[in-house]
Amino acid sequence: MLDAFILGLATIFQWQTFLIMLLGIFLGFWVGLLPGLGGSTTLALMLPFIYKMSPVEAFAFLLGMHSVVATTGDITSVLFGVPGEGTTAATILDGHAMAKKGEAGRALGAALMSSLVGALIGAFALALSIPVVRPLVLTFGAPELFMLAVVGIAFISSLSGQGGRALLRGILGGLLGLLIAMVGQDPQAGVQRFTFGQLYLWGGLDLVPVLVGLFAIPEIIDLAIRGTAIAGDLPKENLSSGVWEGIKDTFRHFWLTVRCSLIGTFIGIMPGLGGGVAQWISYGHAVQSARGDEERRGFGRGDVRGVLGPGAANNSKEGGALIPTIAFGVPGSSAMAILLGAFFLQGIMPGPDMLDKYLVVTFSMVWTMVVANIITVAVSLIFLNQLAKLTLVRGSILIPFILFLAFIGAYTSNNHLGDLLVLLVFGLLGYAMICCGWPRAPLVLGFVLGKIAENNFYISTIRYGSSWLLRPVVLILIILTVVVLLYPFIRFERKGASEGDATA
Amino acid sequence: MRQLTALLFFLASLWIPGFSHGAAYYEGKTLTIVVGYKPGGGYDRYARLFQKFLPRYIPGNPTVVIQNMPGANSIIAANHIYSVAKPDGLTIGTFNNGLVIAQLTKVEGVRFDLTKMAWIGSTASDAAILAVRADVPHKTVDDLRKAKEPIVIGATGPGSSTYDFPALLKEFAGLNFKLVPGYSSSSDVMLAIERKEADGRGGSYASILPFIERGLVRPMIRTRVVVPEIEKLPVDEDLAASAKGKAIMAVRSTPEIIYRPYAAPPGTPAETMKILRDAFAKASRDKDLLAEAKKTKLPIDFVAAEDAVKVVQEVLRQPPEMAQEITKYIKFGD
Repeated sequence: MLDAFILGLATIFQWQTFLIMLLGIFLGFWVGLLPGLGGSTTLALMLPFIYKMSPVEAFAFLLGMHSVVATTGDITSVLFGVPGEGTTAATILDGHAMAKKGEAGRALGAALMSSLVGALIGAFALALSIPVVRPLVLTFGAPELFMLAVVGIAFISSLSGQGGRALLRGILGGLLGLLIAMVGQDPQAGVQRFTFGQLYLWGGLDLVPVLVGLFAIPEIIDLAIRGTAIAGDLPKENLSSGVWEGIKDTFRHFWLTVRCSLIGTFIGIMPGLGGGVAQWISYGHAVQSARGDEERRGFGRGDVRGVLGPGAANNSKEGGALIPTIAFGVPGSSAMAILLGAFFLQGIMPGPDMLDKYLVVTFSMVWTMVVANIITVAVSLIFLNQLAKLTLVRGSILIPFILFLAFIGAYTSNNHLGDLLVLLVFGLLGYAMICCGWPRAPLVLGFVLGKIAENNFYISTIRYGSSWLLRPVVLILIILTVVVLLYPFIRFERKGASEGDATA
Repeated sequence: MRQLTALLFFLASLWIPGFSHGAAYYEGKTLTIVVGYKPGGGYDRYARLFQKFLPRYIPGNPTVVIQNMPGANSIIAANHIYSVAKPDGLTIGTFNNGLVIAQLTKVEGVRFDLTKMAWIGSTASDAAILAVRADVPHKTVDDLRKAKEPIVIGATGPGSSTYDFPALLKEFAGLNFKLVPGYSSSSDVMLAIERKEADGRGGSYASILPFIERGLVRPMIRTRVVVPEIEKLPVDEDLAASAKGKAIMAVRSTPEIIYRPYAAPPGTPAETMKILRDAFAKASRDKDLLAEAKKTKLPIDFVAAEDAVKVVQEVLRQPPEMAQEITKYIKFGD
């Protein structure tokens, strides 16, 4: 086992493999930055290039590319408020808010450093869990997946803001999200729901146009109305010096970063939960870390912890997502489904063999993720300060460029005019929500978890009747749901008690 | 002497690409293959395999590009090929083989008539099979009928072979199945089988094959489409008690003969169609293509245009009341 671990590292440092990996990283870097190019699409396009490579080279190339996409996707999210990838949207909430406060450098430093920490933890969690991975994944059946979705939805209580009114808005937003997730043909009876006779809506709404609409369009409108640069007319001195500060932030809130990385890894392991989920749950967890109402209000207005959480999780989940793919031949995401094709191309049958006969290949994959992220972060740090200056460019010059990115990003998800309509509809919705003070995160959480919750609830009930409610992991998750739900109130109580002590 | 020169020129025109009419046509042009799905899926992978080898066999060596046009289980792409794309031989498409059933059952949104498409053929056949976990005690079809506890069949949802195929077996062959749809992909169903949440599944033989080889599941029942190595399995239609059941099963499985169909817009000129048909037929026999297909586990089994049309006509020949009946059991969906 240890031999394979070290041998795996040695294999990716053979010069040929290493060069191929660098090429992959270079590609992934741009794919992440540009919203129009999705990570999984690019993986599919790159498959033909691996025919003549050895397994280690092929995976160094593909994973090198894939594992930096979420890292550089954060950069676009922070700078322009346009999600560079569907999986980096949560970074916008606080990352772009920081950019508007003139702290783009700090936000970028934090996003990149937390991405690195996340990738490292994800990779090592993958390495460590290899002996137990099969029983771990097999423990989580439909009832457990349903309860995980419920735990995720419970985070709405933390993402809604203070007070009964805010909580009500959050819950309503979450319900709207669940409703939006229902669009499309239902898998039980084959009924078309909310499709209005449109073929485009059969498969449901895509994550990317919805997210780009909800987040990018309001930022573009806001920028146009303000008529200034993204960073406004703030003093310029703290803009570029912030990168180092952001890196330090990662270590200031190190345990939060670690916890969010672990959340990301865990969600990545669960097949079918999808890439969109990890970032939002860790964002919710980051919000929970706020001490007191004052800090809580800072989230969404540029708290660095709101960058660290999703930044770490969207990278660490990639390590986790590899687990079902290699151990069962069952992909955890669309990118992994394409990677599975790469296994076949290399004549490797994913499954138990990967943990035994091909262990060196497996570990070389772990190491590729680690090394690729270290290289990307190191390279990015060199010119982050320059990138941060983009937030000083006058809005009227930037807007056409950002609009272009937003429209292309949405359109490439289906190459259909409907993508642009969805973008605009959700853009208006997002703007209206901001104007009226409604939080958008609960809506997104409802949207990304709706289908998972519905389908797994159905499977659980039809398969097990009501007996699934008594499965041990389900019981644990029910308790966890209650804790997550009540967390804001418990915190409030504690605070009330300590204030009481002070006055007494 | 002059005649001899003319003869030489004539011979040269046969030999040298770029000399005949067709070559002049595709020279310097771009042939677009519209794929009704996102990149990475089966239809996309077949298209990309042929993208690589088709230029070799089309005189004039055009550039071949893939355009992914996902949505509504490829109805959008088929509508596009039928009524939007120009019939100039520069746009062809590949879409779900079950679209013919969608046309038969008059699914909302279908705006094409597959019998009028200019068919190129199909690059592969595949057969739906029913597989159960290797440790399930039932060994024969009769065991499946008499099982005391229902056998749990995991599925994605109506309209896919994971659902429709076992549903018909349950309805017409009296197998004691409990269908559990809702899994997000057919590989998720596989994982459910592994953790014993489900006991078996339906699905295409090619997609289940890796798991048969790994010893996780064993095949039990096949359809009328003959695929090597599983010829001896019982056929679904033979298990159905009623004539109606047999007929519906036949309609469901017939399109599997043209599992990866390719067609051009109606009205594409005959000489252009001949070039395209020949190119697909020759590419399917290309040694390099076959080697790559074997590696990527994409079985190649070319079905010519005239046979593809026969398949389409056979399915569409059903009388209206039969089509009505089929609607009850097979819902084309996403």
